[in-house]
Amino acid sequence: MEASSPPAAVSAAPPDDDRIRSLDASIQAVWRIKLAGLSLFLLLPVLFYDLTFLFSPDPWLPFGVLSGTGLVVGTAFTLLWPRLRYRSWGFALWPEELYREHGVITHVRTVVPLRRIQHVDVSQDLLEREFALGRLVVHTAGSRSSDVVIPGLPLPEAERIRDEIKRFILEDPLLEDPV
Amino acid sequence: MPSSSPASDPDASASESPPDAAPPPSADAAPAADSSATLGTVREPQRLHPLTLLLRVGASLPALVIILLPTLQNPSSENALSVVLGLLYGLVALPAIVMQYLRFSYRITPKQIVIQKGVLNRKNRSIPIERVQNIQIEQNLLARLLGVAKVNIETAGSSGTEGSLEYVGVDAAHEIRQAVRSFQHRTAEAPAPAEDTDDTHRDTLYTMNLRRVLLSGAFRFSLFYLALIFSALELIDPELIVERVLRSEGRIEQVTDLMTAYPALAILGSVGTAVVLGWISGILVHVSRYYGFRLWLDDDKLRKRHGLFTVTEGTVPLGKVQALILRTNPLMRAFGWYGLEVQTVGTDVNEQGHRVIAPFVQYDDLLPLAQRIRSFDLPDQFRSVSPLTIRRRFFRYSVVLGLALAPLIYFWPVTWWHLGGVALPWWGLVLVPGLLGWAVLQYRHHGYEQRDDGLYVRRGVLSRHLWVLPTEKFHVFAATASLFQRRLGLKTLYVDTAGAASFAYPEVIDLPAAEADALLDTLYHRFKTLYRTRIEAETGDADTRLSPDARPRLPVEHTDARVSAPSSPPTNEP
Repeated sequence: MEASSPPAAVSAAPPDDDRIRSLDASIQAVWRIKLAGLSLFLLLPVLFYDLTFLFSPDPWLPFGVLSGTGLVVGTAFTLLWPRLRYRSWGFALWPEELYREHGVITHVRTVVPLRRIQHVDVSQDLLEREFALGRLVVHTAGSRSSDVVIPGLPLPEAERIRDEIKRFILEDPLLEDPV
Repeated sequence: MPSSSPASDPDASASESPPDAAPPPSADAAPAADSSATLGTVREPQRLHPLTLLLRVGASLPALVIILLPTLQNPSSENALSVVLGLLYGLVALPAIVMQYLRFSYRITPKQIVIQKGVLNRKNRSIPIERVQNIQIEQNLLARLLGVAKVNIETAGSSGTEGSLEYVGVDAAHEIRQAVRSFQHRTAEAPAPAEDTDDTHRDTLYTMNLRRVLLSGAFRFSLFYLALIFSALELIDPELIVERVLRSEGRIEQVTDLMTAYPALAILGSVGTAVVLGWISGILVHVSRYYGFRLWLDDDKLRKRHGLFTVTEGTVPLGKVQALILRTNPLMRAFGWYGLEVQTVGTDVNEQGHRVIAPFVQYDDLLPLAQRIRSFDLPDQFRSVSPLTIRRRFFRYSVVLGLALAPLIYFWPVTWWHLGGVALPWWGLVLVPGLLGWAVLQYRHHGYEQRDDGLYVRRGVLSRHLWVLPTEKFHVFAATASLFQRRLGLKTLYVDTAGAASFAYPEVIDLPAAEADALLDTLYHRFKTLYRTRIEAETGDADTRLSPDARPRLPVEHTDARVSAPSSPPTNEP
């Protein structure tokens, strides 16, 4: 569960025992399966194109070049991308906020004050259920990033975080409206 | 809530009807014994105004016309199919409208608004009173003539109108709003202002006379309405009209000769006509929307009313104002005109969660007006973002231009214009220095300042925005760095506020990375401190919520999962 390479320390200095954690490593397998499906889907038209030109008298490219390239690129992408994505992910539940950082191409650091959370869901899709992973979805009333998602948590962990957040909201001593 | 809950409104349980039964007739239902005299009638299930039937049938007539179009165009031919369809329409649509009307009822109790509707699919919607952000009363021209109104119930957290009563009588509409407001006041344990009606415009903040509406429209040039006009003209074949007008005066030959002789003149002429038409249509749209604009303060609520044909009334509770947005464009700015909007959470779909508070106001009047809505301290000087933003923007614009020109250059036919021996699209590259200038302008007009009371962000060259984001309304904090930004050591800071999606967001783009992180921490620290102080003021004690022992347990068992539970008391926090 603990990160093999915890993401770089950030300046929003957390208390020592609440360091930034990684997702569950098995989320990489989920992402890989999904990416493999997508790559196959994209590869099919390329393969079809290649096959239609198999018997043409003057092919633009020798047979197999296009689909071969597609296959290599797709495989490399499927193998590497989830690892990069996994490495970029980090999150922490601090006393008053949920912290999240992610993104391979665009790095995003997000701080969600627990006070601003409208409600919390834990959801699973079919694949995630196989791997016993949960996806924490935090809804805020924000105008742009109103849903903050943390995928790939072990289900009990996701439910624990959900309950922590619920507790925080329920026990708010302030009687004013959340927004 | 799937069904009406008798527990939450005990006095209504006597008249509680099972969901399948038709609602009891409204007018003769006796008010519940313990309800106050003025509000009692609203508590019983009510039907919509009977004229709704007429309006709905009217609204469905265009469909009938389309169905019968072939028959209408040549009545002589026996077009059996459309006649059959028309009959079907009469047999299906009209009873459907009547049934919908009969099965629709609404009811307002001290706790909730209950709307029951649906013929085949019964729907039972309860909207808790305290969640209602705004009750909007809308009247279009026809509704005004018939004395009915549409009531929109808006709540936070839903993307759009939560419930809509279409149509009720004007008096009933005001009664509903009055009732909801008095119930809300009661839950807040404040004296209910029972007798304030629309006629007591207590504290008028801003009005627009016709002259100002016209002037305001003149500044809002928009090609959007022009596009609408042209798409409408498509339907009525303008060539016929033009030909008739020109031929009657015998000038058609002159015009065609002129156009073939000077194609540039023809293009200029059409563009000029388009501009003038766009300008005039902009003015007309503006007048119909903002005619008789009036904004007034009613206790702690902003209320406004405007419109020529469709009169819209809106209410914005001052406490729900999430952000102030001051808008202008270079032309308006030259004459000192600004527009003021507020961002609210009761998402009004028509205004993208942004409510126009004052469409057109001079700078000297703008600040006092904005201060009445929310006090703030506008900084004189804004801090710039990193100058590297010019480089990044210039690069990005150049890439976009290149991508736009490349296919044009590739596919440009040899027989078309080749100025100076090269294809015309190559000359598009002349724009590159202009892009640099544009990037510089973007940089100059982008600034931010942070104060104790909030964050101020200014951005935009043609459409200029100034956002005032109060600390207590900060929502989610984010710092992002794209691939190119990381190469230049830049970051974008974004502080979200509650509201609906819009076109422009108060991002601070291309701050030096360290500065962005520091700013995020400062702003978040301020937000946290503000709420800690509030909690201490409220409870007389520091926030003890987070000590794990003091927490009441939810009935959820997760004994194995609490290995790495963060258990630090809040006092550890800096």
